[in-house]
Amino acid sequence: MSKAAFAYWDNRIAPVFDCARQIRLVETDASGISTETQEMPPDDQPVQKALRLAELAVDTLVCGAISRSLHETISACGIRVVPFVAGEVEEIIQAWRSGNLQGDAYAMPGCRRHRRSLRRFTPERGRNFSCKKPGDKK
Amino acid sequence: MSIRKKKSRPAVVTPTETILESISDGVFTVDMEWRITSFNRAAEEITGVPREEAIQRVCSEVFRCSMCGADCALQLTLETGKPIIGKSGYIITAEGNRIPISISTAVLKDAQGQVVGGAETFRDLSEIEALRRELDSRFRVADLVSRSPLMQRIFEVLPAIAASPSTVLILGETGTGKELMARTIHDLSPRQQGPFIAVNCGALPDTLLESELFGYKAGAFTGAGKDKLGRFALARGGTIFLDEIGDVSPALQVRLLRVLQERTFEPLGATRSEQTDARVIVATNRDLAELTRSGAFREDLYYRVNVVRVQLPPLRRRKEDIPLLVDHFINRFNRLQRKAIQGIAPEALSLLMAHHWPGNVRELANAVERAFIMCEGGLISIAHLPEELTAHGASAAAGADVRSAHDLLDAQSIRSALERNGYNRLAAARQLGIHKTTLFRRIKKLGISLPEQDGRSRTPPAR
Repeated sequence: MSKAAFAYWDNRIAPVFDCARQIRLVETDASGISTETQEMPPDDQPVQKALRLAELAVDTLVCGAISRSLHETISACGIRVVPFVAGEVEEIIQAWRSGNLQGDAYAMPGCRRHRRSLRRFTPERGRNFSCKKPGDKK
Repeated sequence: MSIRKKKSRPAVVTPTETILESISDGVFTVDMEWRITSFNRAAEEITGVPREEAIQRVCSEVFRCSMCGADCALQLTLETGKPIIGKSGYIITAEGNRIPISISTAVLKDAQGQVVGGAETFRDLSEIEALRRELDSRFRVADLVSRSPLMQRIFEVLPAIAASPSTVLILGETGTGKELMARTIHDLSPRQQGPFIAVNCGALPDTLLESELFGYKAGAFTGAGKDKLGRFALARGGTIFLDEIGDVSPALQVRLLRVLQERTFEPLGATRSEQTDARVIVATNRDLAELTRSGAFREDLYYRVNVVRVQLPPLRRRKEDIPLLVDHFINRFNRLQRKAIQGIAPEALSLLMAHHWPGNVRELANAVERAFIMCEGGLISIAHLPEELTAHGASAAAGADVRSAHDLLDAQSIRSALERNGYNRLAAARQLGIHKTTLFRRIKKLGISLPEQDGRSRTPPAR
């Protein structure tokens, strides 16, 4: 049983999760059957968005651009974040189901390097956001 | 952010392209399918997206701006044909950093006047934002906000006061923020990890205050079933704040003196003294020196608490802080009440500036909080302010325009001048710089009620 949340706007992954107003929840049971529901995340405090996802028992959040602080808040709630994803939401859901979401094909422009780092730094290994440290030279 | 590798550029051919490549504002254009058709060098640098990755991609996925989506400024421009200038937002870089920007939009037309897409220019406001924060920090110490020279002088010495272990005496009228000042001193001190324990000495009867401060042992009195720690014990490693110290009884003053002198105290019913290392901050709105002269406050205790003194000015002496404080409270209540009040209308702010504020900052905070209840969104206007500020509440509510604001300010100025001059009309008129008949006419027009006595027999008090 797993539950993934896809933040979307106009049938595409929402470009900025911090301002996303619609979420599609895809729940897959042990036999592989999926059910989909819609959710409106709170539009005020970022922490409310994170708490709502935790309340909905979401395991994975697939989203577009996301600010570092919100990403860290959501990760702290035990939710795996797959950030900087772009494309039609149906196509992204299919890619997620088939385990192909991590490829560069779905990366936002200018974010490929960071998504490669995402594969290296899995949640189990502690860090999954960026290979850049805040103090690194640009 | 910069693109480190030099990318191969298409040969720049037109003067327009040369200009676009040389400016520091990001510029991109889109077609009618929202796909990027051009992306200048500054756009690459600000967003961190190389041009070859941006071209032909959906603009929102390249730009990643807080307005992308339902609030898209470019979409609004294409729908209305009207450009948008300098709208603020932020973009999110691949590293997850928020970059503050301002954007402007325009419609793109071909030679035949047909709309073929849109153009968006954006400016990185990071440096301006950093400068704004730096400027703001000059007027802010922890939760204390002020640009008044009187408060600035306190801000300058506050870190030194916080670093020392000495007892601090905070003086100030009610509502000037004595507890907030005490908490700030604690937060800036090396004891910041320890507890901050506040006790209002004026709120408790003497016997109860004694057991609150020093605690008691089981069996000390009927009902004392087990030991209870006092506030001095709870404040170990931290700070104890004794508010309304001027209201403490002479008997308890003796016990407090012993704590301050010897750093020891005895819980009720205890046979042995206990040590305290808590830093002591005391406060009062009363004139402690006068209380000492009259014998109501022990002289030795006065000198013991009066080691470092912080005198908080009343709000009427730091009125230049009112706009800053109003902004601070609007931000705070927006956060707490999840509202989006944008600010305060100039005429309402003028009214706040004209008020005497006997309740000081607390009264101002309450006035803003009350306005939040009345105001649904947009700007706080005169109609949202409490009646005691607007003086003629009904007329303000009916016509909250500039004229009524002017009348209210007029009425407040006249009342203040009359009060200052013991209701001597002639003296008040002189102070206002108007003829006494003009004053009488305005008093009548504005419906200002006056006391029986006219102040002619009294000498006007000096200002």
